[in-house]
Amino acid sequence: MDTLQVILSGVLLGGVYALFAAGLNMIFGVMRVINLAHGELMMLGAYITFFASDQAGLNPLVSLPLSAAALLILGLLLQFALVERVVNQPLLSSLLLTFGLSTLMMGVALNLWTANYRSTAWAPLTGNWDVFGLAVSRSRFVAFVIALLVTGGTYLFLRRSTFGKAIRATSQNAEVAQICGIDVRRVRLVTFAMGSAMAAIAGSLIAMIFTISPEMGRMFIGKAFAIIVLGGLGSFVGALFGALSLGVGETLAAYWTNTQLAEGVAYVILLIVLLVRPSGFFGRAE
Amino acid sequence: MNGKCLASGTNDLHEREALSSLYNRRDLVRRAAALGISVPTLVALLGTGANAQGTPVGDPPEGDPILIGASVSTTGSNGRTGLYQQEAYLLWEAQKNASGGLLGRPVEMVIYDDQSDPTTGSRLYERLITEDEVDLVLGPYASGVTLAAAQITERYGYPMLVAGASAGEIWDSGFQYVFGVYSIAQDYFRDIILNIAPAQGYTTAAVIYEDAVFPLSTGEGAVAHCETAGIEVLVEETYPLRATDVSSILTRIGEAEPDMLIGGSYLPDSVLIMRQAKELGINVDLYAFSVGAAQPDFLDTLGEDANYVLGPSMWEPKIETTGNQEFLEAYRAMWDRDPDYHAATGYAGCQILEQALTNIGDVNLEALREELLQLTMTTILPGEYSVDETGRQTGHIPLTVQWQEGAKVIVAPEENRTGELQLPTPPWDERG
Repeated sequence: MDTLQVILSGVLLGGVYALFAAGLNMIFGVMRVINLAHGELMMLGAYITFFASDQAGLNPLVSLPLSAAALLILGLLLQFALVERVVNQPLLSSLLLTFGLSTLMMGVALNLWTANYRSTAWAPLTGNWDVFGLAVSRSRFVAFVIALLVTGGTYLFLRRSTFGKAIRATSQNAEVAQICGIDVRRVRLVTFAMGSAMAAIAGSLIAMIFTISPEMGRMFIGKAFAIIVLGGLGSFVGALFGALSLGVGETLAAYWTNTQLAEGVAYVILLIVLLVRPSGFFGRAE
Repeated sequence: MNGKCLASGTNDLHEREALSSLYNRRDLVRRAAALGISVPTLVALLGTGANAQGTPVGDPPEGDPILIGASVSTTGSNGRTGLYQQEAYLLWEAQKNASGGLLGRPVEMVIYDDQSDPTTGSRLYERLITEDEVDLVLGPYASGVTLAAAQITERYGYPMLVAGASAGEIWDSGFQYVFGVYSIAQDYFRDIILNIAPAQGYTTAAVIYEDAVFPLSTGEGAVAHCETAGIEVLVEETYPLRATDVSSILTRIGEAEPDMLIGGSYLPDSVLIMRQAKELGINVDLYAFSVGAAQPDFLDTLGEDANYVLGPSMWEPKIETTGNQEFLEAYRAMWDRDPDYHAATGYAGCQILEQALTNIGDVNLEALREELLQLTMTTILPGEYSVDETGRQTGHIPLTVQWQEGAKVIVAPEENRTGELQLPTPPWDERG
């Protein structure tokens, strides 16, 4: 029963990881740009939720669309002004640019909001629901459901809608997509903005569960890389699979050994997958 | 106000300095205004109280200021706690300068922010001593930073009153110039484990603590006291620094069903543990946490879930010690909020430094060291100041507090008690 309890905690956590990693993966798929600033976009989302709750008394579920909208706009601006310039350039250019953006955003956040740890607690979401003897954490469950809805919605959008198909086409082969009349530039703009909004929602959800600080992005981006490598670069389903595996892996490792070792699980998984199956479980070998 | 409040980062030093000093300056200006009104009151209050050894009130201090350096964590994971200590230092500085100074000279605090980072802290003490050429130093906040800073102050022969740290390890390191202000961390849970637990008939405990100098000391001390009291420790584990998820340890504790959950913690992790214990429905009869449980923030963040939690406290506003009432009023007047025990230990550090300097009549580092070793005096803290030959504090008496219906009640020791203990803690599903 207790092992089940631990697995449940891991699955619930994995849902939020999935949302975060899916946005990162989508951006990589379309642009071949590894967005090192993704963690900071998430951090901004988390702070929007925190301040909305702390200053205006808004509950996190209400501020969620706000934080998504704010980051959607920021994502559009970033892509339009900066990231677009490094698409199709040597990998190092985009790495340098996004690393710079990451450091800049973190530095500004440190200066504006200090390195203090903060947390929001909305009373109805503290505590648990008892389901067949398992304690289901309210905040984690709500975060999990929202994360799955957003991730699932994005998946359907990519599968069914015309624009989603254009995104996937660009992801598979940008040149051919362009020849077929797809406005590749616009696709990239929308993708980056969507990815940013997904990061923001993940951040808002994390603000509901954990304490936040300007440096939180760095911790999560490490996990996101492990997830993407595990699931396969550019694969949406893979990100979901990787995220749930990591969530469960971490909590089980903490349960069987100790919390100290569990922190390293992401990197051990990363290492093993790279050795055994470098393309990930759902990825295409390139 | 002479205080310089700067902050320094690990890499983007200048940028952060500029901003943080702006931030603090704005704060100080506002507070100085409040102080301006209350200076006469302050002076009147302190002329006879905590400042009994001070120069007669009214003489403006003259000559070169005595520079006193310190780094305090005012941001980072321990920032909320460290800020109290800094505010106490600045209060004492303002009081001295309003009442004739120290040895007739003005006092100027040079305080930096180490962002809760030991490496930054030791670098800042090096800078205080070699670049700012301060005359004296006061201790930083938290044991990790103190241990790192002590390596530096020791090398330069600066006696340091440790006004914000208590890990026993600090005095096991053979330092000659490091003096404790309050009880060592190993003894934080002594009253709870040796007196309260046996009286309630508790026989088992889980002890978990953060992987940092101070929490390790409190945790290991708790385990040792459990052994003495014949209490079986069912789960003992460390969790990583800045942990965000302790659900797996808590699940294991839920399985083991101990009577008590004892956390060697700071504020953020004590809040995290309580929150996740509620989320997972983990119930024990007694919860106790170091640092976090004694702080007003614990209540502010957890609300009703803070009730029943016990914690060690080094000082409480309600205790009757020399000058305590005056300290409370002056602190409130200057900072617009109530002090917590970290403010009181910081202030006590200043009181001891002042007394020792007054006794030797000069700023002389070697004489100061000798004086601090043999000095015995009362401060605003319970008990008295006195140290053994290693500089470890032996005279201070720690208190134990419990949150009861949103208020902090002193439950031990007997003579300081302000209310009756409320145990066992009801299970989560029976709480409102």
